[in-house]
Amino acid sequence: MRLQTRVQSGSDIQERRVTDGRISARWFPFFMLLPAILFILVIMLFPLVYSFYVSLTPYELLKPNSLQFELSRALRNYQTLFAESIFWKSVGNTIVFLFLSINLSYVIALSLSQLLARVTRGQGIMRTLLMVPMMFAPILVGFQFRWFFNANVGLVNNLLYSLGLMQERGQIAWLVVEPLGMFSIIVASIWMNLPVLTIILLAGTLSLPQETFEAADVDGANSWQQFRFITFPLLAPFSYIALTILSLDISRAFDIVRIMTDGGPAHRTELNWTYVTRLAIDNTKFGLGSAMSWVTVVLAVVFTLYFFRQLVRSRVVQ
Amino acid sequence: MHHKAKLLIFIVVLMLGTGLAAQDMAEPQYAGLDMDLSGINIRMANIGGGTYEAMYESIPIFEEATGATVEIVALLDGFAIDQKLKVDFATGAADYDVAWDHTSFMAQYTDFLLPLNDHFSEEELAAFSPAILDAATVDGNLYLIPRHADISPIHYRLDLYESEEIAAEYLAATGEELTVPTTLEEIDRQARFFVENGHSTFGYTLAGREEALTGRFYEMHFASGGSLFNENWEPTFNDEIGVAVAELLRGWYRDGIIPVDTTDRLWDGVAQYFCNNDTAIKLEWYGWYAWFQDPANCAVNNNFGLARGFTGLSVGGDAVRPSGWAGAHAFSIPATAPNPGAGAQLIKFLSSERVAYEEAQLGYLPVRDDVWERIIADAGTARNPLDRERLVLAQLQVSQDFKTPPLIAEWIPFSNIFYPHMQAILLGDVSAQEGLDQAAAETRELMADAGYYG
Repeated sequence: MRLQTRVQSGSDIQERRVTDGRISARWFPFFMLLPAILFILVIMLFPLVYSFYVSLTPYELLKPNSLQFELSRALRNYQTLFAESIFWKSVGNTIVFLFLSINLSYVIALSLSQLLARVTRGQGIMRTLLMVPMMFAPILVGFQFRWFFNANVGLVNNLLYSLGLMQERGQIAWLVVEPLGMFSIIVASIWMNLPVLTIILLAGTLSLPQETFEAADVDGANSWQQFRFITFPLLAPFSYIALTILSLDISRAFDIVRIMTDGGPAHRTELNWTYVTRLAIDNTKFGLGSAMSWVTVVLAVVFTLYFFRQLVRSRVVQ
Repeated sequence: MHHKAKLLIFIVVLMLGTGLAAQDMAEPQYAGLDMDLSGINIRMANIGGGTYEAMYESIPIFEEATGATVEIVALLDGFAIDQKLKVDFATGAADYDVAWDHTSFMAQYTDFLLPLNDHFSEEELAAFSPAILDAATVDGNLYLIPRHADISPIHYRLDLYESEEIAAEYLAATGEELTVPTTLEEIDRQARFFVENGHSTFGYTLAGREEALTGRFYEMHFASGGSLFNENWEPTFNDEIGVAVAELLRGWYRDGIIPVDTTDRLWDGVAQYFCNNDTAIKLEWYGWYAWFQDPANCAVNNNFGLARGFTGLSVGGDAVRPSGWAGAHAFSIPATAPNPGAGAQLIKFLSSERVAYEEAQLGYLPVRDDVWERIIADAGTARNPLDRERLVLAQLQVSQDFKTPPLIAEWIPFSNIFYPHMQAILLGDVSAQEGLDQAAAETRELMADAGYYG
C-alpha cells in the first residue's frame, strides 16, 4: 500500500513535468514502448493476421487476381484440408514425430546430463564437444544424415554390411521404407536437439542443493533412489523449461526433413511443415498453404500451453 | 598473256579455296559483346550443379568486353530454381536481369516475363531451332531463348550385349536372340534376365521423384500409344495403357529390377548407378555423355552404346511409337528486371555460337544449326565412333521423336499431384488402378479450378 502511494506520488510529479509538454503521464510509458509495439505489430502481428486473411481466399501464388475474399468461399480451404487424407497423415506423422523426438531427446539428454555432472576431470572439454551439433545449421544436419542413411553409399548401410548384418550392399532404403523414413528423421532431430536440452539439465543438476543428497546418503539411499526421489523431482522446472523451448524450436526440423526425404516418398514422412511448403510453394496454392499453416500454429500453441501448465504445476508442487 | 590469265585465275581460285577453308576452320564467334555496359551490374538466377555450371566460366570474357559485372544470385537445381522463381515473381522480388527457364516450365511464368521480341533481331533468332522458338511464343510474344535441348536415347552396357556367353544363356532362357532392345517389353525381359542371372545389380533405373518421375511415366505412356489428357483436358492417364505402364514399374520395384531407393533419387542419383556399371539398360539424357565417358569418374566409360528410344507396350496396339520426352533449358528476362537491355546482351553472349559450342562439347544437344554443324564435323575425326553415332542418333530423335509435355501452366502443379501417387503405386501402397484413379480425380479438380471445363 505504501509502495503504491509512492508510485502514485512519483507519477504526479512525472505528470506535472510531462503535461508541460504534450504527453500525459498515463500515456508516457506507452509512448516509450511504442517503437517496440510497432515493431512487433509490423514484424509479427501483421503477417499473422494477413496470412489468416489469405487462408480465407483461393489465392494462388502466380495468379495475383485470385487474392479476393468471398464470404461464401471463406472456409473452403479448411474444408478442403480436412477432407484430404494427406492432411490427416501429415498431422498424425507430426504428432508421432513430436512425441518421439521430444521424449527420446529428453531421456537421452537427462542421462547425459547426469553422467556429465559426475565427470570430475575434463568436464569443460566434454561440454564443448556436446555443443558441436549446435554449430551446424539444420540444413547441414539434413545433408549429413541424408548421406548417413543413403542406401547405396551411406555410412549406416556400409557399417551394417561390414559387420555382416547385411547380405548385400544397399539392401535397406532407410529414407524410403516405412517406418524407417520417420525413424531416420527422428534420429537426426534428436542429434540436433541434444545439446540445448543437456546443457539446461546439466545446469539444473549442478544447482541442486547438496545437503539433500548428503542427508539421503546418511539415510542409506542408493544412487537410483537419489535420482528417482530427489534429482528427478527437483529438476522438474528445468525439464519443463527445456521441453517448452524444444517444443517451440522443433519446427527447425523442417530443414532436416526437407533435405532428407522432402516428406516423401508418397507422403510417408509428410509433416505439417513440409505439407505447408508443398501446398503453398510447390503447388503455388498460397491460400490452402496458409490454412495449413494456421492449423499447424493452433496445434503448436496447444502443445506449448500444455508444457507451460506442467511447468507452473511443477513449481507449485515444489 | 593467256598463260598469265590462267595463272591469275588459278591463284584467285586457290585464294578463294583457301579463304573458304579458312572460313570453315574459323573459330566460332561470341555475340553480345558490342555494347558498352560499364557500371552495370547484371544479376542472374540460373540452374546449377553437374555440368550446367561450366558455361558460366566464360562470363569473365563478357565482363571484360562490355565493362559490366555479372552477379550470379542463385545456382539451384531445376526444381529448386523453379520454386525460387515462383516466389520471387509473386512477391515482385525478381530483381535479376536473367533467369533460368525451361520449355516445360515456361507456361506458368509468362505473366512475369518480358517479351524478348524487341531485344533479339530476326537474324539473331534465325540461328535457333524454329520448333523450340514456336513453343516459346505465346500470342506473338517470345519468352525465352533456348540454351540446349535434350531427349533420351537408350543407354545399354556393352559388356552385357557383346558377351557370347550371356547371349547364349539368354537364348536358352528365353528362346530369343539378345539384341539391343527396341520395345518396352524387350527391356522388361532383358532387364529381368540380367538381374535374375546375376549379370547386373539392376536391370533398369529411372528417377523416382518430382517431375522426373511424372515425365518418365508420361514418356512410357505416350510411347505405348496413350495420352495424359483428351482434347477436353480430361485426364486419361488412368486408362488401360496407364495401368499397364504403372504395373510394369511396380513389378520392377517389387522384384528389385530397379533400385530400392528409386523414389528417393533424382537425375544425378540414377545417373550415378549407370556410371558405376550397376545398371544394364536405361533411358538417359544425352547431357550426361561426357561424364559417362570420363574414365576419371565413371566405370561405364567406353562400355556403353546408345539406341533410339523404345516403343511402348503392345497394349497400345498400332498406336505405339518411339519415346521422346524432350525439352530445352533456356534463358528469360523477368518483367521486373532492373537492366533488361543488359540482361539481353548477356543472354546473347551465353547463347552465342561460341559459348553454345563449348557447352555442346560436354554432351548437351545444341539448339543452334551452326553448332550442330560444328560438333558433327568434330565428331568425324573423333577416335570413339560413338561420339559421331550419338549425334546422328540425336538428330534423328530430335527431328522425329521430339515430344514436349503439355505446354500448359498446370504441367508442374499436375506433376506435383501425380508423382506422389505414382510413388505410392511403386511402393505397393495402392494398386496401379487405384493410384491412377486418385491422381485423375485430383487432376480433374486442378483443371476445373483453372477453368478448363468452362
